[in-house]
Amino acid sequence: MSGSLLAQSAVNALVLSSLYILMALGFALLLSIMGVVNFAHAVIYMVGGYVCYELIVTAGLNNWVALAITALGLGLFGLFLERFGFRPFFGNTNRIIVLTLAVIVILESLVNVLVGSEVRAIPSFWSGSFQIKGVWIAHERIIAFVAAAVLLIAVFTFIRRSRTGQQMLATSQDFVGATLQGINIYRITAIAAFIACALAAVAGGLMGSLMFLNPFAGDQMLVRAIQVVILAGIGSIGGVLVGGLILGVLNAFLPLWLEGSAVDAVGVAVIIVIMLFRPQGLFGHEA
Amino acid sequence: MLESRWSKLAGLLLLLVILFLVPVIVGGRPYVLHVGVMVLLNIIMVSSLRTIFLSGQISVAHAAFVGCGAYFAGVLAKQFALAPWITIPAGAIMAMVLGVLLGIPFTRVRAIYFAMVSLFGGIFLVDLIRVARTWTGGGTGLSKIPPLAQSFVGQKVPYYYCTLALTIVCLIILWRIEHSRVGMNWKAIAQSHLVASSVGINEAFYRVLALAVGCFFAGLAGAWYAHFNMTLSPDSYGFLPSIFLVMYMLVGGQKSFAGPIIGAGLLYSIPEIFRRLGTAAPLVLGVVMLIVVYLMPEGLAGLYDQLKGQLLKSREERVTKSAAED
Amino acid sequence: MLLKTRGLSKVFGGLRAVADLDIQVADGQIVGLIGPNGAGKSTVFNLITGVLRPTAGQIIFDGADITNKKAHVTAKLGIGRTFQSAYLFPDFTVLENLVAASFLHPKCNFWEATLRTPGYRRKEAAKLEQAKEILEFVGLEPMQDELAKNLAHGYQKVLGVARALAVKPKLLLLDEPVAGMTAEEIAFSLDVFKKIREQGVAILLIEHNLEFMTLCDRVFVLNFGHKIAEGTPQEVRKDADVCEAFFGTEDD
Repeated sequence: MSGSLLAQSAVNALVLSSLYILMALGFALLLSIMGVVNFAHAVIYMVGGYVCYELIVTAGLNNWVALAITALGLGLFGLFLERFGFRPFFGNTNRIIVLTLAVIVILESLVNVLVGSEVRAIPSFWSGSFQIKGVWIAHERIIAFVAAAVLLIAVFTFIRRSRTGQQMLATSQDFVGATLQGINIYRITAIAAFIACALAAVAGGLMGSLMFLNPFAGDQMLVRAIQVVILAGIGSIGGVLVGGLILGVLNAFLPLWLEGSAVDAVGVAVIIVIMLFRPQGLFGHEA
Repeated sequence: MLESRWSKLAGLLLLLVILFLVPVIVGGRPYVLHVGVMVLLNIIMVSSLRTIFLSGQISVAHAAFVGCGAYFAGVLAKQFALAPWITIPAGAIMAMVLGVLLGIPFTRVRAIYFAMVSLFGGIFLVDLIRVARTWTGGGTGLSKIPPLAQSFVGQKVPYYYCTLALTIVCLIILWRIEHSRVGMNWKAIAQSHLVASSVGINEAFYRVLALAVGCFFAGLAGAWYAHFNMTLSPDSYGFLPSIFLVMYMLVGGQKSFAGPIIGAGLLYSIPEIFRRLGTAAPLVLGVVMLIVVYLMPEGLAGLYDQLKGQLLKSREERVTKSAAED
Repeated sequence: MLLKTRGLSKVFGGLRAVADLDIQVADGQIVGLIGPNGAGKSTVFNLITGVLRPTAGQIIFDGADITNKKAHVTAKLGIGRTFQSAYLFPDFTVLENLVAASFLHPKCNFWEATLRTPGYRRKEAAKLEQAKEILEFVGLEPMQDELAKNLAHGYQKVLGVARALAVKPKLLLLDEPVAGMTAEEIAFSLDVFKKIREQGVAILLIEHNLEFMTLCDRVFVLNFGHKIAEGTPQEVRKDADVCEAFFGTEDD
């Protein structure tokens, strides 16, 4: 095993981890605050990639502006989804599941109809690559990592420091208690939905510059997001960081030794074993 | 009471006659019959999934068990040249054994945690199918599986009738289990596992039993499919196909035995009926799902009761209103 | 002694919910377990019935050690119980609640049930009969076809007791059986409990209500997981510690 391959994988691990965390954080927010298993989360990610592509290539916008508009636009879609989807069916798991599946079916086929199976990729944010000690690293990977990391720091600071963020945490710990304390629940759930969808959209835009876009690309990402959330433990926002890092490392290094589907099998087996001994996840509270 | 029972029986009989005449009605058009067989197999899959849900276990791995049955039967038939009457039961039993093995360690995990575990269990099984490439053909799939019978090759009508018979038998068995003491124990556990065990119901045993029954019939449908379609692809058994089975059940109505039948029948057919729309066909499906979510809280099967309830309510309101006016 | 615990303890994350508890219930007695909120009473029930595993100590029931037995096994051995909340199967009718609870009596196995042998049918018919008898016994038979969740709160609790009786218990554990009931419903349940005792079933019950304790033959008082007093209801009421635990904090 050459050192440069390992170094490449380390960079990959960082990039993957940060994107997984972006995805999983939104999923975890909705899950812990509203109890919503948002299966449509990764479809937002996929749509984010395409919207970003259209804004850059068709509308000719700057990459960063396009990414910001994408995040805002899909964040607004998140607000819409929360107001007319999750809120009316609050507490009714079955109906929310069907609703999110309907969103998946509709958005996936819409993209499929509008774009078709043509191969598309978002133009690089910063093309080229550089060399450290004989290891070539593509600029765009660094960009993806840095962008994701900055965004994550911003969101975590918001959750930890701001009043609204504290209220979000309180709601995720104890919904009824939060209501009794006079927290405006619907303001909290709306903000959570906005953040969740905006983060997924950014992850889609960043990932779209590293890989080809595909209308069904979300499916695998959804599994990854859920993997991270389960590793972290439902209700633990901070644990998402560790869970994402573990999964990123597994998915970056295992391909050095194993073929694709075996990598997935190992990743999933790790989760199953963890759930066997700690059903509440690594950082969850005992149920 | 008796009257409604007779009308139900009459309706059922009418449905059977129609199903029996389908090949005649469509004039033996192979494509329609192919869809018909798939609808019937999906009905078995979704009904068996509902069996697992009856015991309060949210399984998002059901397609994976269908896949295990299909692949086990397919590999036995292709690589070992075993006859379908051996491979099909073998596939069903294999799925059942896997369901039990995965289910036993997780009997202390409930609700959303169980759903998550099942999700990963399903993905794990499909990954195993992909990894065992020498047997299963890996990601490219398994092809040239022998048909149910050599004389069936190129024909759909015999497949249709055989599948119809299989479906009816499976549904009768599932119905009887649900309406026996076993089904009652499942429903009791689903409502409250604490109360159920306080009256002596062994929660772990009955939950694993539900998995065994559900996975058996899933594997059976899968194994049958292997000999019908003669090619298999691991993509048909992944995460989204499992979710779709859950969706068929929820849209059809989880509370009623007819729910999975209506849900699978309608939702599986929609994209096929609107095939002319091409890639836009699933959009119709999405719209139907939205209609059901917003207008029918108990799914399509609950629609009749829902309408009846609303009718009674509005009549009552009218009566009280006129009484108030008097 | 029908039920005896020796040094029963349960620790939750460093906190001793039940500490070194000895209690006894004799055949045919009504025994009370009282104490302020959070005294560990419900935990004691969960330990006895096997919902929770004790950290230390021993539980003897009917001459056998049942310390680490699971909940469905203790039911089989003859311990019926009710719960403080979520006491029934809400989506079953009243009658179905009892039929579901008559799982153990008479016994039948999985194959009998799926194949519906004549023996199974006979046993199920017997269960239906038994369920109706119990409903009559507790006086709920007029409501047998109502959905359990549609019953008034008090009747739901009585149904919980009826359900526990379907196990044919030697010992009945009742967790706050009259909490939240109207005076009328309380009178109704008191009759039921007395009738149960006449049948020779011992009762261990949890109550806040000291007045209700007059029904008991013997009372154990718990505070912070420790037993602070035991005796007849009259003796216990005079005890200074009990007054402290119950009335000492009443000023706030």
